[in-house]
Amino acid sequence: MEEQATQTTIETAPEHKPDRKFRYMPPQLVTDNPVILKELRGRMRGARAFNVLTIYLFLLGTFTSLIYVAASESAVSIGGQANVGEIGRTLFGGVVAIEMVLVSFIAPAFTSGAISGEREHQTYDLLRTTLLPSHSLVLGKLLSSMLYVVLLLTAAIPLQSIAFFFGGVAETELILSFVILLATALLFSTIGIYFSTRARRTLSASVLTYSVATFITFGLPIIIGSVMIALGLWYNGGQSSGAQKVLLYVIGGVLCTNPAATALLTQYVLLNQRTIGAFSYTLTNGQQVTLISPWIPFTIIYLALTAVFFVLSIRRMGKLEE
Amino acid sequence: MIESRNMSSEEYVIETFGLVKRYGKVLAVDDLSLQVPRGAVYGFVGPNGAGKTTTMRILTTLISPTAGESYVTGYSVTESPREVRRAIGYMPDFFGVYDDMKVWEYLDFFAACYEIPERERPALVDDLLALVDLTHRRDDMVEKLSRGMKQRLSLARTLAHDPKVLILDEPASGLDPRARIEIRELLVEMAHMGKTIFFSSHILADVAEICTHLGIIETGKMVAQGTVEEIRRQLIPTREITITLLDRVDEAKEALAHIEGVTTVENMPDEHGRKRIQVSFSGDDEGVSGLLQALSSRGIPVVNFTEETDDLETVFMRATKGIVS
Repeated sequence: MEEQATQTTIETAPEHKPDRKFRYMPPQLVTDNPVILKELRGRMRGARAFNVLTIYLFLLGTFTSLIYVAASESAVSIGGQANVGEIGRTLFGGVVAIEMVLVSFIAPAFTSGAISGEREHQTYDLLRTTLLPSHSLVLGKLLSSMLYVVLLLTAAIPLQSIAFFFGGVAETELILSFVILLATALLFSTIGIYFSTRARRTLSASVLTYSVATFITFGLPIIIGSVMIALGLWYNGGQSSGAQKVLLYVIGGVLCTNPAATALLTQYVLLNQRTIGAFSYTLTNGQQVTLISPWIPFTIIYLALTAVFFVLSIRRMGKLEE
Repeated sequence: MIESRNMSSEEYVIETFGLVKRYGKVLAVDDLSLQVPRGAVYGFVGPNGAGKTTTMRILTTLISPTAGESYVTGYSVTESPREVRRAIGYMPDFFGVYDDMKVWEYLDFFAACYEIPERERPALVDDLLALVDLTHRRDDMVEKLSRGMKQRLSLARTLAHDPKVLILDEPASGLDPRARIEIRELLVEMAHMGKTIFFSSHILADVAEICTHLGIIETGKMVAQGTVEEIRRQLIPTREITITLLDRVDEAKEALAHIEGVTTVENMPDEHGRKRIQVSFSGDDEGVSGLLQALSSRGIPVVNFTEETDDLETVFMRATKGIVS
């Protein structure tokens, strides 16, 4: 649409000559996105990127050691003979849990200043008078932040892999944990950008983003837990199998909006149902229902929400100042 | 779909018709019509808060006008902002500077934002740095530059995509005298490169020496517009000529009073014992030389003959007097 508009103008415009000193080429969204290049140059320069990575790995390493000590102690004391696979699983789950907390807080930190920071540097107006489209700016900010998150996750693989020494964990879990972590980081980054386009200052954008991130990671499980307890009381009264089924789907659906619950349930399903896809579950009354591993709906929900916030951010930026 | 004006766009690079911008109750720009001819160095002058920045932000597609139309190189600012952005290089009245960037990266980044292919950028960046005399600071961080250097870097940035028009908001404000002169020289150089320059200032002295055209804005309204000479004539209808005489003052006054175009001839206080008279005259340069001729042909001893050229500052003060408190 826009391309066509440009074409017509070139033909009818009184004085636009396309063959000027420079040939203009539409930038490839990712390969030649000036924002990604600029952000990465800035982010990786000097000691800051190195320091963040070091602190991140140090924290992760410390926690991993603590989890190892705790897991091996408890495993020995219970069985008399250590359940090595249990140690491996606890270790792996612990590392993923810490990564999830760190990623949930690092990803928004990179993006909540993305647009408001440009305003504060007074470069936002400069960018808006260039030919850089809003979506390239948002995409550039998002991808450069995600690349750093990927770096953090990749750097943590050796720590996660310690679990492989003990067994009880397979590559499938490693890959699934990566998918869940990336989807979480992607959504939180995009929410960060969205608030950054709305807020005048980075501080308020950060506060809003962290509020939402905290709600999703911590607030939601508390609410879900309370609701489940309440429903459990109600459930004791006995329901028809239809009501039980609906209840299961609703609770399952809500759980799939929380990364931690999704990760735990996905692992539970993998261990007990030996699948990462669909499986059938028997209700207390003997009825069979088909369920799917939570990581699938979780990823779909998170990607869809990411798309929504991405579009909202672009819309917001496209608006002219009044 | 996209309208492009053919009418008069050959002549004017920037044109606005009845431009209005209202912020709540405040009328920032009030029925403003301006014309910037091709190749002009147009000084947009007015006191602080007169609406200069608002007008420029409308022309650079950053804000939408409440009413009125504006065109840059024939493209409607509201209908085809992309074409307008391609045609203009904009420098706001602040430095938009990233703190984690080197000088060359800064130019490279903006060149990329203007869709200049990667392989053409290194040579372009070097050219731009040479133009604004910052080649020796190529690898320094942008934030380490002095104010004047940052301003020159900003100017280089506006040229990255070889625009036809430069829209510069207060390019010389806040600079020391030396940096001010450097910017002025750069503007002259850019005018020689064939750029049309539309720049604002609240200090007329900055504008006076380099601009070909003037627009004086006051509380959102255009007070006067045209070439510098037109404005001078429009705002100062008479020329003041001071004549210093050795003697025969009355005879001189008598002779001058009868020349066409002379409105008043008055005595002025003596200076170092010399007699002085002031003549108000409305006429061209030939007429002025005729005055001198009339005196010397009568053998009246003229020591000094000076036209008190009202500088533009006076013109400006006259144009905006009383309106701004």
